[in-house]
Amino acid sequence: MKRQNLRTVSLILCIFSYLLVGAAVFDALESEAESGRRRLLEQKRGELRRKYRFSPDDYHELERLVLQAEAHRAGGQWKFAGSFYFAITVITTIGYGHAAPGTDAGKVFCMFYAILGIPLTLVMFQSLGERMNTVVRLLLKKIKKCLGMKKTNVSMENMVLVGFLSCMGTLCVGAAAFSYFEGWTFFHAYYYCFITLTTIGFGDFVALQKNEALQKKPPYVAFSFMYILVGLTVIGAFLNLVVLRFLTMNSEDERRDAEERASLRRVRNNIHLKAKEDSKSRDAIFLPIEDRTSQMNLIPLMQEDADRPRRHSSNSTARVPSFCTCLGYRPRLCGSPAPSHPETLSCHTNPVYYNSISYRIDEVSLSTRDPTGFSSPGSTLSSNSPSCREHHRLRRKSI
Amino acid sequence: AARRSHAPGQLRSSRRRTRALRPGPPAGRRTMKRQNVRTLALIICTFTYLLVGAAVFDALESEQETSERRRLEEKQLELKSKYNLSSAGYQELEWVVLKLKPHKAGVQWKFAGSFYFAITVITTIGYGHAAPSTDGGKVFCMFYALLGIPLTLVMFQSLGERINTFVKYLLHRIKKCLGMRRAEVSMANMVTIGFFSCISTLCIGAAAFSHYEHWSFFHAYYYCFITLTTIGFGDYVALQKDEALQTKPQYVAFSFVYILTGLTVIGAFLNLVVLRFMTMNAEDEKRDAEHRALLTHNGQASSVHTTDTTSSTTAVGGCGGGG
Repeated sequence: MKRQNLRTVSLILCIFSYLLVGAAVFDALESEAESGRRRLLEQKRGELRRKYRFSPDDYHELERLVLQAEAHRAGGQWKFAGSFYFAITVITTIGYGHAAPGTDAGKVFCMFYAILGIPLTLVMFQSLGERMNTVVRLLLKKIKKCLGMKKTNVSMENMVLVGFLSCMGTLCVGAAAFSYFEGWTFFHAYYYCFITLTTIGFGDFVALQKNEALQKKPPYVAFSFMYILVGLTVIGAFLNLVVLRFLTMNSEDERRDAEERASLRRVRNNIHLKAKEDSKSRDAIFLPIEDRTSQMNLIPLMQEDADRPRRHSSNSTARVPSFCTCLGYRPRLCGSPAPSHPETLSCHTNPVYYNSISYRIDEVSLSTRDPTGFSSPGSTLSSNSPSCREHHRLRRKSI
Repeated sequence: AARRSHAPGQLRSSRRRTRALRPGPPAGRRTMKRQNVRTLALIICTFTYLLVGAAVFDALESEQETSERRRLEEKQLELKSKYNLSSAGYQELEWVVLKLKPHKAGVQWKFAGSFYFAITVITTIGYGHAAPSTDGGKVFCMFYALLGIPLTLVMFQSLGERINTFVKYLLHRIKKCLGMRRAEVSMANMVTIGFFSCISTLCIGAAAFSHYEHWSFFHAYYYCFITLTTIGFGDYVALQKDEALQTKPQYVAFSFVYILTGLTVIGAFLNLVVLRFMTMNAEDEKRDAEHRALLTHNGQASSVHTTDTTSSTTAVGGCGGGG
């Protein structure tokens, strides 16, 4: 099966198993507590109803009132500060729900606001996160130099470690601050920071809801907003470092497959052209040269490709096989038969052709010396370079 | 023959010269690096966006909020006097009602409910209709999210990319069948299809949930939107009426499948449109590094190659010559 399909199917299976396991564990952890709590609360409710002699209708009326008033308990949520808070929870997708648009117009605007805001925010956090990672890498390199370490390269492990510690540090700083300002325990404040910065945002714990903080404590409000945005940046930087490469894996595999297919097609075309021309006169031999001329433009590029740290390996693989057909060399990936005699002879007979070819062999060998980008073509090429040399010894003799 | 063998060499060195002269990233400190400009612009954009949003939400919701609040306070006073409740008594009642609210919606932590909860965690929707009350539940929730969220992100992007590839292939075939001259699938085609898929996913969900949950079509659409963008306010939550989690397994299954499929469709659209922008800075960095490497390498290599050029015109270069 294609790599991308296999990867996707395994991921789907993984997720489903993960959900099943999670559900079972949450069930085990929370179910009993839930039923226990429910029983107690219903008991209390019964007591209160008896105490105040509520009829069922009375109670329902009261209940409805309380539930409606719930959103207002924490004070005004939609003045500028509260709306800013709400806007943050929308575009970061945290979505506590402590305040949600009550008017239909608010709901409509919220949806349009999210459509543009969420991608903008995603790109912004990744952008800023990447810049932060670059700065950290630079700093770490300088520190390593200052400490006089032998190898001043910053490895991926270094970066991951620093990233992880930054995340933990951010969570702890937030936990300390919010446990102080909101009167939560450290653990609950940590849980709040975690649920916020992963953008889950249950809303069971929400900052700025006590003592009308939104209206009365602007420094604390500013701190909360900054904390959420900075914290999301730190998490975003870590995700950029660790997770983002996996999000593009399938596309990169697709691109590589497409390039391989294109190179195969090119080789096949060259072989057909060669086969057609072999039966004709000597003049026909020049045709491959013309072909080669069109290939020639690619050769300086091949030089660059070798220089480049293994990037356009697939581009080089596309060109090298088509070049090598002239030598009568059939790269393994073509799956074509071994070089036939007439072709090697035709390679030899024309001195002009021969000179140009030797020149190009020069350049190819230079570029193929660096095997980094090549998987199968590279290995087959290197194994054939002795045969290349043989060819040229023969040619030398003919000259 | 001599001319012939010089030509490629000349071509090569001239190409190298032009490459060295080609403007790479600005060398001096005159202009800011592209990545930094981009990042700064995005930060400013986002802050402006937040300010504008806050102003508009304020304008839309503030008045309604204050009038609603006044109305409820009046009602509260009425009921307090009617039932002769003290403030403390009312608060006690209020507390009981609010604590019973999630239980009102049914059992939340049996397997079906926990599965629903697990979905809201790893997809980061996080309605909050049910949240772990035990400390053990909170701890497990955090570890569960730590592994689950990246896994889910990668899965949705993976599946989304597969879907996009498949759609591209289908469209290509359709174009061929229809006998169109240019059978390539453009980005605009893909974006249009993606957009319409998203809209229809939302509409299908809206229709279904408005029927099962007795919401208006608009409110159901709003619910689907808030869910599939993973905002998940929790003001509207499916499977909370009539003990659906325990008594209506097909509806429960439909809801789960809808959420996961819907997120895949949205994920495919994001994969098509947004993902490339998230890797822009990194790709610019990579390109800058390659430019720098190329400039230094070309500087070193030019001497080596000139000797090669001369040798191959006179003698036989051969494979081993250049190494």
